[in-house]
Amino acid sequence: MELSPTNGWRGSLLHVDLTTGTARAETIPRDLLTHYLGGRGLGVRLLRETHTLDPYHPDMPLVFAVGPLCGTPAPTAARLAVVSRSPLTGTVYDCSAGGRFAHRLKSAGFDALRIVGRSPRQVAIAVTPVGAEIFPADSLWGKTVGETKRALSGKGSVAAIGPAGENGVLFACIMMGEGNAVGRGGLGAVMGSKNLKAVTVDGDLPVGIADRTRFDRARQDVMRLFRASPVIFGELGISEYGTPALVDLMRQRRMAPTENFRKTVFERSGNYSGPAIRKAYGGKKDGCHGCPIQCKRSAPDGTHLPEYETVSHFGALNGIDDLRSIVRSNTACNEQGLDTITAAATLSAWGEGRGRFPDAEEVPALLEDIARRRGEGELLALGSRRVAEAMGNPGLSMSVKSLELPAYDPRGAYGMALAYCTSNRGGCHLRAYPISHEILRKPVATDRFSFSGKARIIKIAEDTNAAIDSLVACKFSFFGATLEEYAELLSATTGEDYTPQSLKEIGERIFLTERFYNCANGFDAGDDRLPERFFREPGSGGEGIDVPPIDEKRFEEEIGKYYRIRGLTPRGTFTDPGYLSGLP
Amino acid sequence: MRDQIAKYAARLVADRSALPGRIAFAAHDDVLISNGNREMAKLCEGVLSSLSCLGLVAASQSFPIADFLVRRAPAGESRIVPRDTETRTFLHDIPFLRREELAGDPTRRIAKLLGNRKGMIAEGLGVVAAGTVTVEQAYINYSSVFHSTFVKYLLDVLTDGFLLRGEKEAFDRFRAGWLRPLSAEGLAFRSGPIGDPGEILAEIAAVGRHTVERGLVDSFFGNISYRLGDVVYISQTAASLDELPGRIDPVPADNSSTAGITASSELLAHRRIFEAGGARAILHGHPKFAVAMSMLCEEKDCPIKDCWKDCDKVRLLGGTPVVAGEIGAGGLARRVPPVIAKPGKALVYGHGVFTTGRTDFAEAFRAMVDVENWCRGEYFRRLAAKRPG
Ligand code: SF4
Repeated sequence: MELSPTNGWRGSLLHVDLTTGTARAETIPRDLLTHYLGGRGLGVRLLRETHTLDPYHPDMPLVFAVGPLCGTPAPTAARLAVVSRSPLTGTVYDCSAGGRFAHRLKSAGFDALRIVGRSPRQVAIAVTPVGAEIFPADSLWGKTVGETKRALSGKGSVAAIGPAGENGVLFACIMMGEGNAVGRGGLGAVMGSKNLKAVTVDGDLPVGIADRTRFDRARQDVMRLFRASPVIFGELGISEYGTPALVDLMRQRRMAPTENFRKTVFERSGNYSGPAIRKAYGGKKDGCHGCPIQCKRSAPDGTHLPEYETVSHFGALNGIDDLRSIVRSNTACNEQGLDTITAAATLSAWGEGRGRFPDAEEVPALLEDIARRRGEGELLALGSRRVAEAMGNPGLSMSVKSLELPAYDPRGAYGMALAYCTSNRGGCHLRAYPISHEILRKPVATDRFSFSGKARIIKIAEDTNAAIDSLVACKFSFFGATLEEYAELLSATTGEDYTPQSLKEIGERIFLTERFYNCANGFDAGDDRLPERFFREPGSGGEGIDVPPIDEKRFEEEIGKYYRIRGLTPRGTFTDPGYLSGLP
Repeated sequence: MRDQIAKYAARLVADRSALPGRIAFAAHDDVLISNGNREMAKLCEGVLSSLSCLGLVAASQSFPIADFLVRRAPAGESRIVPRDTETRTFLHDIPFLRREELAGDPTRRIAKLLGNRKGMIAEGLGVVAAGTVTVEQAYINYSSVFHSTFVKYLLDVLTDGFLLRGEKEAFDRFRAGWLRPLSAEGLAFRSGPIGDPGEILAEIAAVGRHTVERGLVDSFFGNISYRLGDVVYISQTAASLDELPGRIDPVPADNSSTAGITASSELLAHRRIFEAGGARAILHGHPKFAVAMSMLCEEKDCPIKDCWKDCDKVRLLGGTPVVAGEIGAGGLARRVPPVIAKPGKALVYGHGVFTTGRTDFAEAFRAMVDVENWCRGEYFRRLAAKRPG
């Protein structure tokens, strides 16, 4: 084995202060890297001491962090996490994103880019192996993501905000130039508040691997498991149809949120299913750097085609069945820099409130109004919770901790119901991803209409996924592979010994750190709540499947169990106010 | 959770992979519970409390294959590497602790191994397996270890003979007492062609149960399908063959729906076999003697190293063609269809058996029984030829 302190990790981060217009490279203590890995874990750790600042406070960091596997041929590892505090939810927030940006950041020689301060003028940052250059971007302000990307071509990979981020839309995203979004939670607005339009990264430094033979063996093991997974490489899987492969399945399971979750079946969802998209646009595969799965799809003219959550929410959730309009909405969000899920869900809540869901023709213009904060867009830019409150009907917002729920109705998967609530970033499906076992039968199936064991399952999955988000690997890998193979890849790369168990322990540390930050910001059990609708109204049963309202008492019991399993108080808070000081 | 423990403890007895009275489970919800053999249950609790897993099983194998493998392993070795494709894909290797390493309180040492692998062997105690998500998963992992150690032991004995005191006698007892004759005798199959989707679902479920009850396959290892017009009805991935009602996906040939994304990972192979013509029903399972025999190749000086995926020869075992190929989207979906059309049966190197029925499952079921019986007979013939008496 080759012993080198730089195998896997670079050991340094680039710190950029936009207030002073300065940048410097800093050494990251080895201890932090081995205990937090990278990506989400490292980003969350780097937030310590600033975690109670307002998301728009100049000192609030915006961290782009890659992981130790990035830059190696480990499958699906060319990803990063962007971490800060969300203006939409108020929680600590991380987003995992692919594309090429992460790979380039690592190749520029850094594990992380930490941006603080607020620039007196509108700027962009160019990162290369020699450091960071901060340059004026006044001419880019107001431009769409596509225009910005084109203007910066030649500078490597681009992460940019659109008008939405500039204008402080609470669900503004950061777009990677290749069509990947740092989607949820409004981190684009944090970037905009720093007067930062874009970051470019370029570099070609290779990443060391401590034990190449061991690495290659583990990689082959992963690939074999991918090939054995129907969800990944099956004929109907995501490598063939992208995530819209789930449209038909969610329809069949009667858990596709429809008309602001009033129903769970949208009869015309076949119009935007995976096969329908392929028929209309062809099946050109696309995806993140070096990923063998390539789950993204693009049209012949290069237009990025929407993911499952996006088609379903611009479709069923708003009662729209026109695929072309859905694709236009997706493109509008990408160009304006809006999170598609929150955008569609906010329109849907607003639509229910005003007694009419927006029609296919209206949506793209409304999205632009949101990004520009004009007309109805001024209110809609605040996300569904604030919109519903302003309309005098808070129950219209189908969100947890102000984050709108994605396209898996919790009445159709009780682990999902629980996980929406326990997620540290609000109503998100990816923290514990119970859809994997409740619907996709991976690694084994669980009874989706039962709470039995779910509190423990969710806890374990949250820890596991926190580790995965810190490697950083793509969640989709784990429809086939497990932490066993990824622990091998990590050990082989870094020369440190990791096991699935030690990774889960790291994940637990990361997850609890996030929860501690949230508690410090006033969150507790009262925020771990599903919208009332799910306890009062049934979903759309039929075809032998009953979709009753969730049993509230049973739900509360299971949440109580979850707190006990996590070692929290019945209020979901920490008994030890010094919890963080005991951690590396 | 208690009902799950009771269910899978009963299964271990029913499938005769574990000794009654030497089985224990633990499960960890907000409290830690356990059941079964008291001493083993205590151990399970200790191990599980230091793992991020929901379920754990410890059981002594009905025939101590794993123990024999440990004792046969060279000094200094600490793991068993299964050679069959299926279990190797998912288990990678099976670590073990020898009797002397279990002295004192072995809880931490066992937990350490299970922190990295799905199952382990504790000599003299049995197999300990964990399930991250469910108690059922712990049972499945135990079954995987049982399957892979069984197949490896059969091969090792054939290659190296009996090496330990009492081993041959134990093996003979196992052969006489544990192995049961396989047959399709007394089973009723719907005669085909079956034209009604409801009937097809019912028949697939019934046949799934038969394959498990007759000891042809372990419950989680295999898949079943039937073709009606342009639709293939196929068991779902990770579905127990004896619990198929509600777990069968109808998959249209034109891929006009992707609801079948949960179908078995062998959907591709099933489709290609149907396309090759002549079959309406397909059974796929991993009967142990067939799996073991498929890995015996007499080719001399063959340059291929990874036989299980790279071999492109078609060998014959008692009239059944044997081909190599990885599972799922790997090579077996390419190599099986051309060879199965005529004989209605095929073996995949280190993996399992596919059989087909032209109109119904009766033919496919009998073919699978025949393949496994032939392989059993041939195995013991070769063993006898190696060591007379
Ligand atoms: S599976 Fe899709 S999202 Fe994940 S890394 Fe690959 S291309 Fe990117």
